[in-house]
Amino acid sequence: MDRRGFLKTAGVLSAGAACAYGLPLLCAGTSSRGAPEGPPGTRKWGMVIDLTRCRPDCTACLEACRKENNVAFFGDARWDVHLIRKVKIRRTYPAVSAEKPMLLLCNQCDRPPCVQACPVKATFQREDGVVLVDQHRCIGCRYCMIACPYNARDFNFKENREWPNKDRPRSSHGVPQSCTFCVHRLDVGQEPACVAACKKVGANVLAVGDLNDPGSDVSRLIATHPVQGLREDLGTRPKVYYIGL
Amino acid sequence: MRLKAAVVPIAALVILFPLGYSLARSVFSWGAERGQPFLAKPETKSAGCVRDNTWMRFHHMDLLKQVRDEAVREGKRGNIGLNTCRECHTNRERFCNECHNAVNLHVDCFRCHYYP
Amino acid sequence: MEASFERVEGKSAQYWLLLGALAALTLPGIFSTYLMEGRGLYLSGMTNRVPWGLQIVLAVFYIGASAGSLVISSLYGVFGKKEYKPFARVAVYLALLFLVAALLSILTDLGRLDNLSSSFSHFNFLSMLSINPFLYNMYILICMVYLWAMLREKEKLVRVMALVAVLWAIAVHSGTGAIFGFVPRELYQSPLLPPSFIAAALSSGTALMILVILGLFRLTGRPLDDQLVVRLGRLLAVFVLVVACLLYIENAYRVYLAASREAGVYLLFGGFQSVVFWGGMVLLGSLVPAVILFTPRTAGQVRWIVVSSALVVFGVLCERYLIVIPGQAHPADLLPNMEITSSVWEEGVAAYSASLPEVLQAIGVVAIIGFLFVLGLRLFRLLPTEARICE
Repeated sequence: MDRRGFLKTAGVLSAGAACAYGLPLLCAGTSSRGAPEGPPGTRKWGMVIDLTRCRPDCTACLEACRKENNVAFFGDARWDVHLIRKVKIRRTYPAVSAEKPMLLLCNQCDRPPCVQACPVKATFQREDGVVLVDQHRCIGCRYCMIACPYNARDFNFKENREWPNKDRPRSSHGVPQSCTFCVHRLDVGQEPACVAACKKVGANVLAVGDLNDPGSDVSRLIATHPVQGLREDLGTRPKVYYIGL
Repeated sequence: MRLKAAVVPIAALVILFPLGYSLARSVFSWGAERGQPFLAKPETKSAGCVRDNTWMRFHHMDLLKQVRDEAVREGKRGNIGLNTCRECHTNRERFCNECHNAVNLHVDCFRCHYYP
Repeated sequence: MEASFERVEGKSAQYWLLLGALAALTLPGIFSTYLMEGRGLYLSGMTNRVPWGLQIVLAVFYIGASAGSLVISSLYGVFGKKEYKPFARVAVYLALLFLVAALLSILTDLGRLDNLSSSFSHFNFLSMLSINPFLYNMYILICMVYLWAMLREKEKLVRVMALVAVLWAIAVHSGTGAIFGFVPRELYQSPLLPPSFIAAALSSGTALMILVILGLFRLTGRPLDDQLVVRLGRLLAVFVLVVACLLYIENAYRVYLAASREAGVYLLFGGFQSVVFWGGMVLLGSLVPAVILFTPRTAGQVRWIVVSSALVVFGVLCERYLIVIPGQAHPADLLPNMEITSSVWEEGVAAYSASLPEVLQAIGVVAIIGFLFVLGLRLFRLLPTEARICE
């Protein structure tokens, strides 16, 4: 083939390759979610976790979450769903520190990779910043789980047998689940189940509130304590902040 | 070609079999096992019925879908929905399943949502 | 010289036996898909830490094989090399079938297949997994039109479709690479993934075509000019080099930078995946084939080319495994310089092994496309009467 033909072909091939990414680039400007910045006055839910107050052997928030959201539990680490997990962590570098408890949950990112990834927009972000799975639409492809850098999502591999909270639906198998900040409670003015349970045992570790309201619990905590989100360098802008990490 | 001529009818048979089976079942069992579906009027706890029978018959699915999307995707809760249906129509067997079983149309809601 | 194409007669007992065996092999796969969709994906080996398993590995492999097969047909359609015309139809048909296999693998892996209609009614432009099925479906249509144009011998349409098909194949396969490359996981996130997918597609596609063509021609007793296979072998050699080169760059980059060093070292030296890497991909998948195909004596012998093709296919399969699984098995570095000492979850490196239902599904998918291929040979004029080089 002569040079012209080669150049033509190469140009056309590159154009073809560009098509694959062109669409997302073109649409990166438009949002596939409700504007999380929102019009003035829009709420933006965030959470602050004060690890200095967390009691190592307490499981109040975990059990409250499981009961409230009908979370699947089989006793098998492969398939158990955890919307909130309690782990023990310690520093390894430069020196090994003592263990302390930590809570891991969906960070409700402001720039969620899972929302970007979902092919059907079943994972979406509401105007108030909450990232949710619409399980009616989900096809169970698990790309959101792959895209989440925090491993925050669990998949329902097996049909859930328990149904402690009949006022709330229980997930079928084949869909992922992650912490929703209990939006069904937030929407009607209640606190998330974990926050309420933690208050009940007197620990007051968890607080959920409006980040856009300077007078709310979370805003005051963030203003007065050094807080840290997980892997903020990834650019996901997590909205769960830790005190004492 | 014998084989080529058979491919299309066989493929059509395979693809249309589920539909044909469902149709045949409803046609041949309508009126025989279950009788015509009959919904007893419940004692309404609220001011009255949400909508009249005919409207509901044609539009309850759209109503439920709209309420669902508003609640899940926009956070507008407290509207009517499956939970409020339950307040008056207390028994799913005599309410939803009565008609849905008669027309052999499966609903997926109750796999996850509680409705006794 | 003009090649003439014909159908396989397909009346022999062997033919019907083959068809029957393939049809029978699909049944366990269909049954295990039915079980998994009905009871839950816990029947597979996938877990919360490794949510994508064997089916996705194979789906990616099939997409690569499909794109690669199309390149062989483009040798005639786009680059006008008449000596490859005999292979063009089989190549396009195979490309079509491989993509069908990929889609089948993906679809049988979905958790809620009953919601599939949402993927048609809701489209997320930002999601690579939304764009790609659109690319795949159009690709299938394009392949069908291309094949139809070849069967009806509409030369001009063939030229146009060949170009469109190759373009689209590049888009499809680099899009598939972007599914993994555009995700913030340590062992996935990489701009090199789309081009490396294309390179692997080219090499696996060429290798598979060599094997299929030789198998077909020998089984049906058609004359095949050895020189054609030798030329394809030379093409394969170049592709193997490109794959090895990209592989080297990717891993060198990861190990060099402090941020990704731990993940890079895990991949290269950390366990089972390292055996797959060094033994499967580097040694058997790249070094040995490269040596065979660049040594003049062996590069001219058909059986050595067959050996190296088989090794290349194996190597690319290993590569697909290495792309999909270790990226999930390796833990995300949530807390740098800290470790999680106890958890309810599977912390640290996660384990994954395919379960029997998954393997049966995979066999079922292979059986389905095998069945369709063998049937297609009978229904369409795909096979050339002979393949010779006429100078």
